Amino acid sequence: MKRTVLYDCHLECGGRLVDFAGWHMPVQYQKGILQEHLETRRSAGLFDVSHMGRFEITGRRALEFLRWVLTNDAGALPVGRAHYTLLADETGGAIDDAYLYRFSPEQWILVVNAANTYKDWEYLRRKAGEMGGGIQLKNVSEELAMIALQGPQSEVMLSGVVESGQLPEPKRNALGTVRIAGCEVLVGRTGYTGEPVCFELFVPAKAAEGLWCLLLERGVCPVGLGARDTLRLEASLPLYGHEYGRDVMGQEIPILACPAAKVGVNLKDPERRFIGREVLEEQSKTLKKGICAFRVLGKGVVRAGAAVFQGLREIGRVTSGTVVPYWVPREVSCPHHCGHGTGWEAHFSGQTAQRAIGLAMLEGPLGAGALIEIDLRGRRVEAEVVKRNLDNSCGPITFAVV
Amino acid sequence: MIDPEARYLRTHEWAKDEGRGVFAVGLSSYALEQLGDIVYLELPEVGDTVEQGGTFGVVESVKAASDLYAPLGGEVVEVNRAAAENPDMLKEDPYEEGWLIKIKASNPSEFEDLMDAREYKQFLETEAE
Repeated sequence: MKRTVLYDCHLECGGRLVDFAGWHMPVQYQKGILQEHLETRRSAGLFDVSHMGRFEITGRRALEFLRWVLTNDAGALPVGRAHYTLLADETGGAIDDAYLYRFSPEQWILVVNAANTYKDWEYLRRKAGEMGGGIQLKNVSEELAMIALQGPQSEVMLSGVVESGQLPEPKRNALGTVRIAGCEVLVGRTGYTGEPVCFELFVPAKAAEGLWCLLLERGVCPVGLGARDTLRLEASLPLYGHEYGRDVMGQEIPILACPAAKVGVNLKDPERRFIGREVLEEQSKTLKKGICAFRVLGKGVVRAGAAVFQGLREIGRVTSGTVVPYWVPREVSCPHHCGHGTGWEAHFSGQTAQRAIGLAMLEGPLGAGALIEIDLRGRRVEAEVVKRNLDNSCGPITFAVV
Repeated sequence: MIDPEARYLRTHEWAKDEGRGVFAVGLSSYALEQLGDIVYLELPEVGDTVEQGGTFGVVESVKAASDLYAPLGGEVVEVNRAAAENPDMLKEDPYEEGWLIKIKASNPSEFEDLMDAREYKQFLETEAE
């Protein structure tokens, strides 16, 4: 089994290691999944995401290549920005979802799912071959480690360790370069937690351990894959293998069934031919099902694969389901008139609770407020389709929508 | 931590003889450690019958649902509602306050089928390898 360069750090932090896509990764540390989730929402969480694949794309025809193999338009991505994108197949399903970073004018970094790294690499190399030259693909996953730092306090903590250089402007997807502990670190304001204040750091492998420890000293909480999943699900972010790829019945999930995919598929430029375009255009007009967020109203936790009903009619399946902890919102008025607390420190009264939530692929798709029933070991539990389970529109902190 | 008084299933449920054919049932501290945070417990009703090795409930951690298996067959005569309401109790005191159900055994000799503390300890050692 493979180890990231931070393996020893995980052991030191009391990480419980499991096999994840061939990697020995911490599912949780000493505090446990619930506490790690809560700490990320209140303060900041530190994640080793070095198991994900990182490919560097350069060369004379690099941009042309990216505009062909990715669903989002790399031509619309300025230097110093990143965007969400997908690798579509010819039938409108996802080979993977990914994030494309443009730190410098002639170089792109594509970050892909750990479970798909090999598949994506082989696929991209083949496609580059088909274009017949002018593209250099380099797998930089080993030489460049990746650490995510997420949560309202993460900017303060990161600023505290930066020696020189500016953090990217406070705008999602902005990129920059700084020096930390004598090393160049590429910084993106990106992440997979739904946190408005979020960073992903690309650091030379040899410097990763030092950076990890520096941030731990600042008081950031190490977070394992367990809370990484609850955090992304609370924010309704899709996960390949659940909301993309094949569903529990073995059917390919149409990319645009996933609302998050809409920002990763760019159909604006009619001249741009990219793989999967025709089917995706079709999907954008005719798709009759979609992935919806829900919250469980009854007792119990529903899991991926559970059937969803309205009356006698089965209308879909749960794609992801779990329990998430949350900070019970304070009932005080907000200076922004958005119904939240008076300043974010006041929000964390210390009281926490848990709720069962999830994502489901539903016919319709159904609008917020629709009541559904979900099979739970032979009985039915009531649930409600919601617009979102986490409100992150009013930074720097998020609010559980309960 | 293993309670020397209890006997165990390979699925990490324990049973303790409370006299008069009644056995308390719970989850070993090893199992609780492996499960991580427990968020929900589904337990039977008083009066339900269970079979030895049959399921009597479900424990939900954040990551997954796991069945609970009965160390002995019989009738459920008590359910620990306090534990169901507050699953944190299980970890705090797995062999006393953290019991799950009490079973009036239809065949108390089934208790002898279970691993004793020493055997369970050995079993955990082989599991760890």
